[in-house]
Amino acid sequence: MSKKDVKTTKEIQFNDKTDRPGQTAQMWQKALQAWNLKKNFKGFQLSVPGLELPKGFATALIGENGAGKTTLLNILTGIRLDYKGEISYFGRQEKGIDASVQERIGYTGPGSYFLPQWTIRQVEEISGLLFDNFHKDRYRALCEELGIGGSGTDVSKQVKSLSDGNRMKLMLAAVLARDTSLLILDEPASPLDPLMRDRLCDMIRNYLDQGGGEKTVFFSTHNIADMESVTDYAIILEHGNIVEEGFVEELKEKYICVKGEAADAERAGEAMFSMHRSAYGFEGICLARNLERLAGMDITLETPTLSQIAVAVMKANTNLGKKA
Amino acid sequence: MKLLQNSGVPIYQQIAEQLRADILAGKLKEGEYLPSIRGLAKDLRISVITTMKAYEQLEAEGLVTAAQGKGFYVNAQDSEMLKEQHLRRVEEALAEAIRAARIAGMTGKELQEILRTLLDMQDEKES
Repeated sequence: MSKKDVKTTKEIQFNDKTDRPGQTAQMWQKALQAWNLKKNFKGFQLSVPGLELPKGFATALIGENGAGKTTLLNILTGIRLDYKGEISYFGRQEKGIDASVQERIGYTGPGSYFLPQWTIRQVEEISGLLFDNFHKDRYRALCEELGIGGSGTDVSKQVKSLSDGNRMKLMLAAVLARDTSLLILDEPASPLDPLMRDRLCDMIRNYLDQGGGEKTVFFSTHNIADMESVTDYAIILEHGNIVEEGFVEELKEKYICVKGEAADAERAGEAMFSMHRSAYGFEGICLARNLERLAGMDITLETPTLSQIAVAVMKANTNLGKKA
Repeated sequence: MKLLQNSGVPIYQQIAEQLRADILAGKLKEGEYLPSIRGLAKDLRISVITTMKAYEQLEAEGLVTAAQGKGFYVNAQDSEMLKEQHLRRVEEALAEAIRAARIAGMTGKELQEILRTLLDMQDEKES
């Protein structure tokens, strides 16, 4: 069994119906595995030597705009076919995406993939035609719950006349109305207002709960703070490369938030992963394994948020020659 | 269950503490299943990995066991350990009472009187 390098993750079976084998014989269940993904653009290259999505969890693909998130997700959903590398879905031996795999994947995009002139009613009809596992009653219930359906809604309203937020809700309703095993959501929170973002997190948790460990979610975001409460596993993408990944609880043990006095800033800076200093003191992230180098300083330690970790990691990888 | 976001205590630890207390107090019985990790995450509105870590902690402490196909169930609690837990709690509570009595300027005798009265009241209630 080849050992994955670096990753801060434990290898455990994560099903609700779980049998903990103990410290030995541990195998992740993976919703998706990819090897040697490469895609070149002018001035940019997406290069992902290995990617694994833990089954039954919500994974966040975090990165700045332009980091390659959409390219990666387009490759994984089969939207983009001109790439190098291999992907295996749902633990299958066969590589690549076929109709049976497509049927099990639900996708929402950064824009809307519904044609602008379609009406809300037509979206329902077409979804039913495109997918075997589309449930009209579920779709209508979801639309009503999201405020884009129900009595009083004009189902002859065209997609193009909907706000960005409502277009996203429409995509979410259509995708959740199907029986799927994997949701791939490209920036689902971006067009939504805070209340709806909260609701989105609830919907994701509900989806995972319904699946009992068999359903997986993979979403991208450039603002992880919105989705932190639902994120189990994080993959941080910078300039087309994965620069860090791991289960959130473990990342929060690997990176520690440190606050200290200005007088110690110079010395602390040598041990810290990232730091901001002012006349009043310093604050930053320190790798847990380097904490001992701060011994003797007047510091407070805190658990960082995933957002703080992501920012620190992205900053560290943006600067050339920054120590890790 | 009340979870504090900013208390400095990680959420998984708060969950584990609450469940540990319930198990040791007998509120969760031997053989009883804990909610599924995803069901609990949904109800508490947190990530699944957090509830999982809480359950793993309880399992490491020997309080629960993971069962194939069913989830986590409560282990039989050693009655000796339970008794010891309760004994410790009694001692702590009495030590606190003594401290308060000192501050109030009460004598040991007065404190014993109060204890006796409260015990009698409790007996009356129960009979």
